[in-house]
Amino acid sequence: MDKEILEREVREIADSWKDKEGNLIMVLHQIQNRYGYVPREVSLVLSEILDVPLARIYEVITFYHFFRLTPPGKHTISVCMGTACYLKGGAELLGELEHLLCVKPGETTKDGQFHLEMVRCLGCCGLAPVLKIGEKVYGGVKKKDIGDIIAHYSEEAEAQAIA
Amino acid sequence: MIKMTKKDLDATKQKYAEADRNWIKVGFSTCGIAAGAKEVYDTLVEESRKHSADVEIKKCGCVGMCSAEPLVEVHVKNMPTVFYGKVDKEVATKIMEKHVCGKMLVNDKIYDLKLN
Amino acid sequence: MGKTVFIKDTAITGKDRTRDFYGVFLGTLREKGLENEVQLVRVADIGIYGQGMTVRVLPENFLYTNVQENDIPAIVQDSVVGGRPVEGKASAQPSKQLRIVLRNCGVIDPESIEDYIARDGYQALAKVLTEYTPEKVAQEIKNSGLRGRGGAGFPTGLKWDITRKAQGDQKYIICNGDEGDPGAYMDRSVLEGDPHSVIEGMTIGAYAIGASKGYFYIRAEYPLAIERIEKAMRQCHERGILGNGILGSSFNFDLEIRLGAGAFVCGEETALIASIEGKRGYPSPRPPFPSIKGLWGRPTCINNVETLANIPVIVMKGGAWFAGIGTETSKGTKVFAVTGKVKNSGLVEVPMGTAVEDVVYGICGGAMAGKNVKAIQTGGPSGGVIPKEFFQTKVDYESLQKMGSIMGSGGMIVMDEDDCMVDIAKFYLGFCVDESCGKCAPCRIGGTQMLKLLVKVTDGEGTQKDLDQLEQISFAMQKASLCGLGQTAPNPVLSTLHYYRAEYDAHVDKKKCPACKCAKLVRFMIMSEKCVKCGMCFKACPVGAISGNRESGYLIDQTKCIRCGQCFEVCKPRAISRG
Repeated sequence: MDKEILEREVREIADSWKDKEGNLIMVLHQIQNRYGYVPREVSLVLSEILDVPLARIYEVITFYHFFRLTPPGKHTISVCMGTACYLKGGAELLGELEHLLCVKPGETTKDGQFHLEMVRCLGCCGLAPVLKIGEKVYGGVKKKDIGDIIAHYSEEAEAQAIA
Repeated sequence: MIKMTKKDLDATKQKYAEADRNWIKVGFSTCGIAAGAKEVYDTLVEESRKHSADVEIKKCGCVGMCSAEPLVEVHVKNMPTVFYGKVDKEVATKIMEKHVCGKMLVNDKIYDLKLN
Repeated sequence: MGKTVFIKDTAITGKDRTRDFYGVFLGTLREKGLENEVQLVRVADIGIYGQGMTVRVLPENFLYTNVQENDIPAIVQDSVVGGRPVEGKASAQPSKQLRIVLRNCGVIDPESIEDYIARDGYQALAKVLTEYTPEKVAQEIKNSGLRGRGGAGFPTGLKWDITRKAQGDQKYIICNGDEGDPGAYMDRSVLEGDPHSVIEGMTIGAYAIGASKGYFYIRAEYPLAIERIEKAMRQCHERGILGNGILGSSFNFDLEIRLGAGAFVCGEETALIASIEGKRGYPSPRPPFPSIKGLWGRPTCINNVETLANIPVIVMKGGAWFAGIGTETSKGTKVFAVTGKVKNSGLVEVPMGTAVEDVVYGICGGAMAGKNVKAIQTGGPSGGVIPKEFFQTKVDYESLQKMGSIMGSGGMIVMDEDDCMVDIAKFYLGFCVDESCGKCAPCRIGGTQMLKLLVKVTDGEGTQKDLDQLEQISFAMQKASLCGLGQTAPNPVLSTLHYYRAEYDAHVDKKKCPACKCAKLVRFMIMSEKCVKCGMCFKACPVGAISGNRESGYLIDQTKCIRCGQCFEVCKPRAISRG
């Protein structure tokens, strides 16, 4: 990334929060919204702008589950592991996805198409077990449905949709 | 910007008080949306236009019957106010045709009713 | 209003006979020439469970359960035509919910401030600003007996009073919307469904304690809740309900949103404060309590979403009214998120003191089809289980504590006979280990060691000594941990050990999992006498552990079997044993 453009973008985000106390987490939220993760170069620039040591920025990023240090896949698959989903088979869904995508939770597939993660609770316990791909929530998912669901998001399916 | 006072509150309260008219409320919280509330809402709006139905369609929060989402509450004058659950496009169409226009409750889809 | 009759077969087992019954009922109506005047409707849920054919006659709302075909003429004659109950037949109405916190959820458009105002919104704020001193507001809340709904149950009025009296040039009020308990989502529902009630409750609280600034701390995982609160705040600003000179008074108050970032420990007051300050969510020792020294060292009052949503109603109807609901020590209502293996999962608001069985069976319809409820779990990772035998327990702070559980934020997870209690304990403990911030040793090390022991037990390698050790570490963690997370993390283990020791013993002594949940302790075998040699299991096995053919029959190679249970599921004649 071009350092100049980057600096301008980060400054734009940081400026709107500059005068507020305890702004670091909110700034990081906006950065992750923009880039999908918190790139190291951004943290470096941010450290200068906010006059906060880089170590403190990393301390916060690594403490909170929500922040990422690596780019996410094209589609993030979040499997809910809240209690209701766990009881109704959330762990089995996760196992099936690990098997089909050949990744562990927190990893991205080699082709960069999918990022698999566990989430605490999506707040749709009535629909358990639940998984979310991008912004779309799938409720009452059965293990055997998973192959069909992710097939919609595969590279081939997307190429076909464009064609 | 307006500076509201107690008097303005009372005036607003009067103006927006729920008049006795026909309405439909669609549960539009995370769970409802995840279960497909948007399609249901769109269908209801489209169908009501088609039938020129005298009904107000509103988006609301969650009443709590999560396992029956998407949930639609229907109030038609002189009929019991009921909650339809697990509503899809087809049921939404029926609600508009049968319940709102035909004054007949739809079978097999009512999950609760509101008693006054 | 015209006559309407609802019918539904509520029997739990057997075929749903609603349709047959509908035909008979319709026939009776036709005989009387009433088919055009009376609407007969099959409903999907009639609010009654396990009581056979059920009929509800509206608008009078007469209810009949266990109705037989020969009862129909009397119901039609007396109730439908006559408008009176059939003598000796009408049933009592089931226990109902009482909606205070959820009064507007699903009723109003949460994005319309006018809808909220039309339902008495901001009237309570106007009332306190014109008629009450801050002291009187706190007193009113004290009178109501309202206690914090976030879990610990500290009296809200007292908290306000302490913060009001604390010395400080600047005070803060914080709304704790970091609903981290997996399986509880009532706060999300209130924030999404009725955001203004929380803002109003907060503003009243701010007036009572003398705060000019407030923060909403909301989980980043709740984007819709954040969006709706933002919108509601904007509407308030535009109308002078937030900002300077609120509702024409001299009171100034403003709000900001701060987002959580996925750390369960941030639901703890001191950790939450650290997070708002933009730091790691590390808890700090109390005292000093936040009421004295909180956000940026200033007196800070932290209230839960549900607590705040109660405030406007209490102000309008009076503390005494609120105190009339509930039990001696627990006043008002509580919202529970009833989820898991239950027929109707959802949010339920009941007066404090309602029996668990009324919630699980009466309102939520009990277990899923063909299963039996085993226990409930309340209080999430900090709570415990309550076995079915104790379902007459009342839901209030003290009764739940006496049972070894806690009220918590209001998650109520229903478990059935397929759920293994050791596995549940492991699930919750795993959660706490993941979420431990690592600051204090008892929680960091104790939790990890306990989890290791539980994994040993569920893998079939545990001993009785391990179970003793689990208890010992639990007590140490309860005593020595710095914050609530570590102090309560062993609760699910202790509570399951207490009520389900036999299940632990089975894992340890017999190397068996009675619920067949712990994969390493389960064995699948083909019972040759029942096997029809269809080969379905052979096809279903993902690892080729089943060998044989349609003539000789099939066999499972235990060394290859990964215990996925697929063969068990596809076997039609149920010829595969699990145990």
